[in-house]
Amino acid sequence: MSLKRELPTSTMSGFALSGILVLTILNILLQNSWHVGTRAGDELLKLNATEGVANAVTTVVVYFRGFDTLGEIAVLFIASLGIGLMLHSNTQCEIKAESNFMLKTASKMLFPIIMLFGIYVMVYGHLSPGGGFQGGVIIASGVLLLLISDKSFEVPHAMIVALETFAGVSYVLIGLIGLLVIDKFLGNFLPHDISEMGLLFSGGIIPIIYIIVGIKVGSEMSLIVQNLIKRCENV
Amino acid sequence: MIGFIILVTFLAIIVVAFTSITQKKLADSIILFMGVGLGSVILFFVFKAPDVALTEAVIGAGISSIIFLMALKHLGVKA
Repeated sequence: MSLKRELPTSTMSGFALSGILVLTILNILLQNSWHVGTRAGDELLKLNATEGVANAVTTVVVYFRGFDTLGEIAVLFIASLGIGLMLHSNTQCEIKAESNFMLKTASKMLFPIIMLFGIYVMVYGHLSPGGGFQGGVIIASGVLLLLISDKSFEVPHAMIVALETFAGVSYVLIGLIGLLVIDKFLGNFLPHDISEMGLLFSGGIIPIIYIIVGIKVGSEMSLIVQNLIKRCENV
Repeated sequence: MIGFIILVTFLAIIVVAFTSITQKKLADSIILFMGVGLGSVILFFVFKAPDVALTEAVIGAGISSIIFLMALKHLGVKA
């Protein structure tokens, strides 16, 4: 029996489609790799120097598109709210399976290191790759490790509410202070001199806003993970 | 050398993605989807976008696969 009869038509067409996609992507890459010209990114890189932040991506995400980031935070909040409404129950629920000794011991040793790395990525978002979103999700993955290793662990709900309220309110407040001081919503009203580029305390409000974003993303993702992992069977 | 790495990663991503959509078990499919994310991390890093690579490693390959697996557990499908 030949190979052509064994494979169904959908599989063969899938292979053909993948081949065409590979050729197209390679063609685009080979044509554009040595092309140097003026692009939108070059203009943004020139503007980036005025804010005194070493990581240009952070300047774009937090400063040039700061209002969009506020909207993304709102979208994540609504997603967390929906998952909480659908899956949360008032009764005490626990994971049925008991975790083994290795997981319990290793999670106690790994959790502080994961938290430290998450906070580092969050605080140094304006100097190196990373930022609030990534740092927040790293912290949430540390919380997930605790949740699957310890049966009785619960994310403290009052602390999450306090952190999330603080982060959301202070983001809007910083934007309104910018509107009052320099007539621009989310304007950079703190000193941001270019000579301080690369220092930890540089860039005015940009690192502050990214830390606020990190706090909000971390608390929301922790709640999402907890609501997904803990649920009674007979709800 | 860099071109060779890019080519191999591209081919690996396509093979893993195709294996992922042809799996019978949904859990295997999700694990292979994680592999697609890891391949894209290498590509983003080689193409000088470390911010996007970090985001993809944390969100695309990490927490979204875990959320998929937990949602699969809630659905009650025999995985």
